[in-house]
Amino acid sequence: MNEKIISPLNRVEGDLDLKVVFRGNKVIEAYPMSRLFRGIEIILKNKYPMDSLVITPRICGICGGSHLMSAVEALDMAYKAEVPPNAVLLRNIMALAEMGQNDVRHTYLMFMIDTVNKKYEKMDFYKDMVTRWAPFYGTSYKAAVKWSKRYTEIYAIFGGQWPHGSSMVPGGVTADPYPNDILKARGIINEITSEFIEKVMLGGPLDQFLQLKSVKDLDQWSQDYPNGDISKLWIYGREMKWDKIGKGSNFLMSFGHVPSAEDYTTENPKLRFKRGILNLDTMEFSSIDQANMLEFVTKSFYSYSNGDIGLHPFEGETNPLSPFSNDKYTFTKTFRYKLNGKLIAPEVGALSMMAVDNNPLIIDLLNKLGSNVLLREIARFVRLAIISEIIIEELEKFRFGEPTYKKPLDIAESKGYGLVEASRGSLGHWIVIKDNKIFNYQVVTPTQINMGPEDSYGNISHMSKALIGTIVEDIENPIELAHIVRSHDACMVCNVHVLDGNVEKMVLRL
Amino acid sequence: MRNLLWLQGGACSGNTLSLLNASDPDVFEFFSQHNIKLLWHPSLSLDSIGVKRIMEDIINGKIRLNIFVFEGSVILGPNNSGTFNMFAGKPMKDWVKYLAPLSEYIIAVGDCASFGGIPAADPNPTQSTGLQFFKKEIGGFLGKNFRTKSGLPIINISGCPAHPDWILTTISLISEGKMTEDMLDEFNRPKIFYSTTTQFGCPRQPYFTYKISSKELGHKEGCLYFDLGCRGAYTKSPCNSILWNNQSSKTRVGTPCMGCTEFDFPTFNFFHTEKNRSGIPKRLPLGMSRGTYVTFSAVAKGSAPQFLVRPLIKKKGDWIE
Ligand code: SF4
Repeated sequence: MNEKIISPLNRVEGDLDLKVVFRGNKVIEAYPMSRLFRGIEIILKNKYPMDSLVITPRICGICGGSHLMSAVEALDMAYKAEVPPNAVLLRNIMALAEMGQNDVRHTYLMFMIDTVNKKYEKMDFYKDMVTRWAPFYGTSYKAAVKWSKRYTEIYAIFGGQWPHGSSMVPGGVTADPYPNDILKARGIINEITSEFIEKVMLGGPLDQFLQLKSVKDLDQWSQDYPNGDISKLWIYGREMKWDKIGKGSNFLMSFGHVPSAEDYTTENPKLRFKRGILNLDTMEFSSIDQANMLEFVTKSFYSYSNGDIGLHPFEGETNPLSPFSNDKYTFTKTFRYKLNGKLIAPEVGALSMMAVDNNPLIIDLLNKLGSNVLLREIARFVRLAIISEIIIEELEKFRFGEPTYKKPLDIAESKGYGLVEASRGSLGHWIVIKDNKIFNYQVVTPTQINMGPEDSYGNISHMSKALIGTIVEDIENPIELAHIVRSHDACMVCNVHVLDGNVEKMVLRL
Repeated sequence: MRNLLWLQGGACSGNTLSLLNASDPDVFEFFSQHNIKLLWHPSLSLDSIGVKRIMEDIINGKIRLNIFVFEGSVILGPNNSGTFNMFAGKPMKDWVKYLAPLSEYIIAVGDCASFGGIPAADPNPTQSTGLQFFKKEIGGFLGKNFRTKSGLPIINISGCPAHPDWILTTISLISEGKMTEDMLDEFNRPKIFYSTTTQFGCPRQPYFTYKISSKELGHKEGCLYFDLGCRGAYTKSPCNSILWNNQSSKTRVGTPCMGCTEFDFPTFNFFHTEKNRSGIPKRLPLGMSRGTYVTFSAVAKGSAPQFLVRPLIKKKGDWIE
């Protein structure tokens, strides 16, 4: 047996180490480890509820807007806020603009650059991959650097700045845009669509791409528009066998996203992207009830006052332990969902979001290939295409002169939660307010859901499942493992570690 | 060729993402124009060679470290072990301790690296501190008298996050050899960015002058200082003159300034102005005495131009005063 610790596994936001145990070239155990603790949930205690709008976006520099949206939905619920349609539209536009930025940066700045890895040198399309996707020099890489920041401009028009705007508040948004703001945002998204999404990513017209419904359609697209990155990814990705690695949990979960502006509610919102769980073995959908969510700390550097039990986030505790312990190894808690009486460890992310939303292309791909690294990347392209459309639709619905905010009543004691889809998956905030102060605040992040450690019954989480069984061609260059982790856009600030055995210890950078 | 190493301690990556928003030039053009070699960056490096090797080579003198950029707080906890933040096999604080004296210049980018920021907020569960300040106090992790090889202290680019223009301009001044100690303010921030307050350039400034308050969020008019917690009158930042994402700023979209470029960020109770018993804001505009403020307010209020005291663009509600 051969143990490797890949530390830090970079190009994830924050600090992730990955400990894997190999037998020969096969991964037999895998432990993602988060080595950073910042204590945000502790800091929020006893502060004013509205302070969560300023503090929680700082959990993560790449999806702070998603934290803001979760936080504000939790406060909307706690304050029983009525939110004017304009405000919901603007929140949606901001959330989607942040997602667009993230999808582009993830795809090109974090994921595709690994195609220049020496493993692929002998492939006859290697040169094409380098020309497109090499860091700093690749044509698509450069375009991604240029166009991803334009999404943040849309965010800033309504949010003041990105990252870390705080313009969503219970009852609405702080912004009061004039028609010129709407016009400008529309100008920017149209330009991104025509100059980047259509020219670089898809290689063809967006509205036509959105019609694709099956693997056959995607094959046809790759023939008709061979120069788009998605066509190249679809063809090269299978040659590189990305469709054969990183399966993981067979439960795809999404909290759903983009509430309807006309009849906004927090308890049971009508969502543009559905909320639910898809069981890939049976292709059965289930709805989600947040009451069925639990967090364990069996293997995490935390203690619970009543011992090793699963706690719902409303009762959640954050009592960190010094990270020296024989049986604990990460600052990530374990997330589990109780589905029909059983605890499941779902996968979350763009693929799950598109699958739960019943996107026909993604469903057909899943039916034929199952969940894997390649599909996670394809799902990013698909999602980016869809959100461009929705941003435009939402901008068109904005009514100048109608309010963007309605002050909610003060409530001294209350509870609320907000469930959204951040770029890398499902995100939830839970707040308990007593005496007008935060009594408890708990955050469940997508990375935590994907990359938590074992629960107290010994069941492993999605990422470990996705890694175990992987055959690595060259243990000195375990690029396959990097693909698997990065296809989830691992985000360690929101929370992760690789390698084990007793023969040889080494530290690897991927 | 100057070598630049970028590390993250107790960070959210917000400054890195902010850096990627740089335009004219963008960050990669900037590095090539300024002949800067990025030794390693946690999100951007392909890392064919490990960062651990790079850091060891700096420590044993094989690589020169010209510019060391640190993002995030220095985490000392628990119990001064630094193990709440492990990196490449060691507490991050230990890497900083070895690398700092070998660096020609060090930039603390963001409020966390400058002053401790969010992680250092009460009750500071991770024992976080800034590189050379802990909140207001000089000292921080490296100590009051610490100097980099150039003779300069840590250069703080505070802000949560720092604006890409502030970061790149500072790096350009360093790489062109133009940065001197007298260009820094009392918190070692470049004065070119931290001499004016957030109010400079805020479109609501006329409302501030005449003491016209916005009573509720969600409106373009009225000043956010009197009731809604804006810290723009006593926060040093160029947020309203160097706009964010080429577009806007917090106060332009009706979000009160949170004071994120200052040592005391986060101050909490945002969105709310704390007042004393006579109804005067507890924190006054920078450099203003209580007496002056009271006299000046009375005059200002009485002389407010009529067109400012009601909504300029017709809209329902009475949210302005
Ligand atoms: S106090 Fe705030 S809103 Fe008022 S003028 Fe100053 S920066 Fe603008």
